[in-house]
Amino acid sequence: MTDHVHLDELLRAKNEDAGCNAGEDILDAYVELELAGEDPARVYPGTAIHLQSCPGCRADHDGLLEAARRFGDVLPE
Amino acid sequence: MVVAKLAETQVAIHAVRDPADVDAVVSDSRATISAMEKLDAGLAIDADSRQWVEQLRTKHPKHDRAVARLHEMLLRVAYHELSRRRGQLQSVSGPEFDDLAHQAADDALVNVLARLDEFRGLSRFTTWAYKFAMFEVSSKVGRHAWRRQPPGAAELSWDRLPDSMAPRPGDRLEQRERLAALSGAIGELTERQREVFVAIALNDVSIDVLAIQLGSNRNAIYKNLFDARRNLRVKMAAAGHPVLDMDAA
Repeated sequence: MTDHVHLDELLRAKNEDAGCNAGEDILDAYVELELAGEDPARVYPGTAIHLQSCPGCRADHDGLLEAARRFGDVLPE
Repeated sequence: MVVAKLAETQVAIHAVRDPADVDAVVSDSRATISAMEKLDAGLAIDADSRQWVEQLRTKHPKHDRAVARLHEMLLRVAYHELSRRRGQLQSVSGPEFDDLAHQAADDALVNVLARLDEFRGLSRFTTWAYKFAMFEVSSKVGRHAWRRQPPGAAELSWDRLPDSMAPRPGDRLEQRERLAALSGAIGELTERQREVFVAIALNDVSIDVLAIQLGSNRNAIYKNLFDARRNLRVKMAAAGHPVLDMDAA
């Protein structure tokens, strides 16, 4: 933890970070783009940056991505 | 719908404290509005998602069956996610684990049904619905972890850099000076920024657990963490040890 890379990660704070609330609104759309093989950072750059820095939102994102992949294709009957 | 999003964006812009943050809010909101415009133009919801939404309407003849099916899926998602986060739940198992999963699924179902009109088709319906299960699991795991083991004074208070970061005898002088500058800069943060940075960045306390401990919420704690990190960068630069932006390198 003494090199520049680790210090940059430890102190990651980008002005373009959209914050937790903005990401919550569109997390499903963000995940859907990933599942479609598209780059969600092109559509939601602020949320892409936020997910690199916020451990809580990153955990939600990772869980939703996995859930949508495993359990997404179901119908009500 | 688009007008409502614009109003929401305006509120968000007023809520941010730094002009640079406005760009991020506007950028992601612009993307959402653009997607909404496509939906309003009729490129909307896929057939499977439409079937979900229609059958979940109170007056639909298949309402009860659709609600039961959705609950079944939310429960599967909750179980799966709780298993994925088992590290935060320590020894929880059996009826207690089942209870957490059922609570998360029940609360997510209530949220989904109450907000059915807000589904815009930016994703499949199931992905949108599972998002609420994810938030419920997050919240319940955080509360559970906090009840079992709230962060102690050692994880919140600032004394010195943890051993894993402390300079070692073989470190070069430059590294030792950089870490000394970081240590000094942490000491100069506001009390709240220091507490949040020390807990999350240095001691790996969960952001949701810390939010409960401090009577706050994830978004506000993240803002404290963001401000702390930015201030530390400024102070490090002022002390002659700028932190390089490795993404830009």
